Amino acid sequence: MTQKQADIRTRCVRIATFLGGLYFFLYFVAPQSVVSQFGIDKLDEPISNGLSIVGTMAFGLGLLNIVSAHGMRLAFGRAGWFYSLTLLGGLVSTVVITTSQWMESVSTSRQIRSVQIVGEFAARIKDDAAVSHGGVSQDVQNARIIKQSGDVPLVPTRVAALVRYAESEVATMRNVVAHETHRDLRDAGTTQLIRELDADLSAFTELVRELSAESSRETTMTPGQESLLERVSRDSTKIASTYALIIRADRNHALSQRLYDLLYNGLFNQLGSAMFALLGVYIAAAAYRAFRIRSIESALMMTAALVVMMGQISFGRMLSEELPSMRQWLLEVPNSAAFRAIRLGAGVAGLLLAIRMWLSIESSTNSSEHT
Amino acid sequence: MNGFEHATPGIVVLLLVAVALFLWELRRVRAGYSHFIRRIPGVDAVEAAVGRCAEQGRPVMFTTALTDVGPVLYACIGILRAVAKKVAQYKLKLIVPQYSPEAMAVVEDGVRAAYQDAGRGSSFDPQSLVFLSGEQFAFASGYMGLMHREKPGAAFMFGVFAAESLVLAEAGQQVGARQVAASVSPEQVAFFVCTCDYTLIGEELFGASAYVSREPVQVATLAAQDRFKLLICGVIVVGVVCATIASLHPELSIVMPHELLLSGWEVFGK
Repeated sequence: MTQKQADIRTRCVRIATFLGGLYFFLYFVAPQSVVSQFGIDKLDEPISNGLSIVGTMAFGLGLLNIVSAHGMRLAFGRAGWFYSLTLLGGLVSTVVITTSQWMESVSTSRQIRSVQIVGEFAARIKDDAAVSHGGVSQDVQNARIIKQSGDVPLVPTRVAALVRYAESEVATMRNVVAHETHRDLRDAGTTQLIRELDADLSAFTELVRELSAESSRETTMTPGQESLLERVSRDSTKIASTYALIIRADRNHALSQRLYDLLYNGLFNQLGSAMFALLGVYIAAAAYRAFRIRSIESALMMTAALVVMMGQISFGRMLSEELPSMRQWLLEVPNSAAFRAIRLGAGVAGLLLAIRMWLSIESSTNSSEHT
Repeated sequence: MNGFEHATPGIVVLLLVAVALFLWELRRVRAGYSHFIRRIPGVDAVEAAVGRCAEQGRPVMFTTALTDVGPVLYACIGILRAVAKKVAQYKLKLIVPQYSPEAMAVVEDGVRAAYQDAGRGSSFDPQSLVFLSGEQFAFASGYMGLMHREKPGAAFMFGVFAAESLVLAEAGQQVGARQVAASVSPEQVAFFVCTCDYTLIGEELFGASAYVSREPVQVATLAAQDRFKLLICGVIVVGVVCATIASLHPELSIVMPHELLLSGWEVFGK
């Protein structure tokens, strides 16, 4: 890169930084009315999306770093290659298991959705017929007319399509029921749900047949058809929720889900808890070192810690009734004062550094430019 | 207008005062005015710790822990560059475990620049920056593993820390590393005081970079933040006096400084 190109790049980065900072500055300092009037709040979404994109790209960088650092160590058999192999193995298996679990969950959601559509379709046919009869308010009619910009088939054609779709969904659900019935289900609740679904499907099949017969007799929407459509809509909603419970329970037994549970609930969370538990041991070790009285400061610290600890437990109260109030005073007065001082100092320093970054007034220590 | 979501006029004035103070100090320092910067033992210890690593032939570890891209990270990079420059001069191994992928790109740039400053740009190894995990305790566990395998002679922990601070510091203590820590989280300072050889408290983290480099921009920032804090202390003192008078003489209608600062934009009318 030539010097001129480098200068242009630096200038572009500075302009982008300034504009980005200006948005947040204005958003923070300007009154809400000004923010809305000048449309500053409308930039919120694109900027949030941009930040998400940069974050995702940066995450890719992290992934690349892991693969290159550990891949090289493994490829050249450098010291610690076994750890790299474990890490890369863990990475690959996590990606594979999480992806397959995600795909399973998408597939399950689609299956549930396709059943829910039966009910929505039935309700829509009934509502559209009501619109054409003028049975709904003008607002709803207008909304429907706007939505129905294309050609809408006649009621019998739509009911026939609904019947075909419902029959195919019932067949799919029956297959699931048959499959689940022959499985060794340990969950009594799921077994009960399957029985309920089986009964509901039989009743629903009859209902759909009835609707089909009614529709073939009449070319326009009759009150009988309306009532049947309403029942189809209601029953299919109930069936969809039972079906969702069954296939979600079924998914819990799937290999991908079990591996996912093993990986996250069985391994990842447990290891995190184990690391957190180490803190208990380390606190004791650190306290032992810190509380050895080597100076006036450590003596003061030990005394304060002793008062706080004794004031916290009932044994302390047995020693002196004053200990809990002393503990409270230590926490609320000197401790709070110190905390506030640290926070104030760090906050002011952070503010000035942020202003410096915004205005790109950078020292050579924080800049990668070289002369 | 919601005062919690948007700055009040008083806060805007304070922000503008901060900017003005900084620009004024920058102008003064660039004109040759020299500020006194008090000694920070923890920063003095950095060079000694790196020298110890050179004597023992052990690597140097520097972590910014949970720090994300922001002012704290930039403050850490100032010290990291000083450490990395020494490491490059002494031809030591530097290990920089990373938690945040976004921060890693910025940190890598800083370390590379430090090697170039030391005239050893070609010695920079991008793999000295190790991305461990974006999960807090997985990062802590990776850090512990690295610490026990590499056995660094010095470990620097600068930045934002949470519950993992003691785990990291104890790991360094176990391998006998000389440790310097700096945190803006007051809750973690106590753990570092117990486990590390030197601890920089709160704003010392921001001052350390200026102390090491003595660069005009950094020194001006330090001076401006001190003056701004003086201003805030003045407001606090005025507030205490006003509150005392108000409690002694309730019949007087005294306007408190915090009420002035937190009054919304409606004071200017619609």
